[in-house]
Amino acid sequence: MGSTSRVGWLVRASADGDEAAWTELVRQYAPLVMAVIRTYKLAPADAQDVSQTVWLRLVEHLANLREPEALPGWLTVTTRRACARHLQRGRWEQPVDPHGDERIEVSTMPGLDAGILRAELRQALQDGLAELDEKDQRLLRLRTADPPMSYAEISELLGMKIGSIGPSLRRCLDRLRDTSAMRAYAAAILFAEEREGGDRHELVRMDR
Amino acid sequence: MSSSGWTDDELLNELRAALNEPPVDESIIRAAEEAFAWRAVDAELELLLLDASSDMNPALVRGDSSRMLTFHGERFSVTVEIDESGIIGQLIPPGPGQITLMTTDGPQALAHADEVGYFSLPAPARGPVRLECVVGDARFVTEWATP
Repeated sequence: MGSTSRVGWLVRASADGDEAAWTELVRQYAPLVMAVIRTYKLAPADAQDVSQTVWLRLVEHLANLREPEALPGWLTVTTRRACARHLQRGRWEQPVDPHGDERIEVSTMPGLDAGILRAELRQALQDGLAELDEKDQRLLRLRTADPPMSYAEISELLGMKIGSIGPSLRRCLDRLRDTSAMRAYAAAILFAEEREGGDRHELVRMDR
Repeated sequence: MSSSGWTDDELLNELRAALNEPPVDESIIRAAEEAFAWRAVDAELELLLLDASSDMNPALVRGDSSRMLTFHGERFSVTVEIDESGIIGQLIPPGPGQITLMTTDGPQALAHADEVGYFSLPAPARGPVRLECVVGDARFVTEWATP
């Protein structure tokens, strides 16, 4: 089975009652859901309620998701909707603009879109990394350790010549860009840009 | 624009951030895993979807603390208004039925809708809830929502 359809397979297996597949889905995507929730700065108890609501919704919709492969996007949208509802609840006792709508309210939170895009990018990077072979994964993990490892340390650990680490890294990163997870992320961003006319890619870069 | 638009350093920095994110609380993971128990095994149960626009509603404009949620299905809809004192709702098309307020711990309360579909329930417990309804020999259930 190709890694291309891993998430699709997990969704379909879960819909058929495979609890192990569901557990894997949750473990893989709970960080994405929480990262989106964090961008809304909800109280911890509210964050917990939203997270559980999103997973309950997914359980309800497992069998009729139109594109199981697009699960990360579905989770992001569903989480945003649930968070927006919570935000609004917090505002109930404040004066409201009767002509306002949810979209305007939400987009006035600075950095929100960039935060959500970043959450999706990080999920895509993790999914993409898992698609690479072990050798590539090891090199990338060492180089992205916190604190980062020097070429000299990596050279010693992996038995590679120092001079070959740079070129190997570049090839690893190219393979990472070419994984189905990263290509799907890039395509989703392109789609959003065409629809909204904004450069969402730039948005993520600027929000450093 | 594609992901090839990222420089190597940008990609490495994002990857570093992705791999060093704080882990999600075990309690949140467990709750998500337990959600699987609610997988619909009953194909007879029609799912009513929460109307996204029900975030904006007359109650909101009135400025009081109640909120209104509407769920739509092919054959039925249900609208509920919720405040601290409880839930008031109506089945559409109007008519009698039986409504159960469900929490993830199980049923919280039961109500009977009158001839015009009106019913009332106590205020929901904290956390996600949904309504399970029986109308004649039809059964339907709303999406989970945190009211």
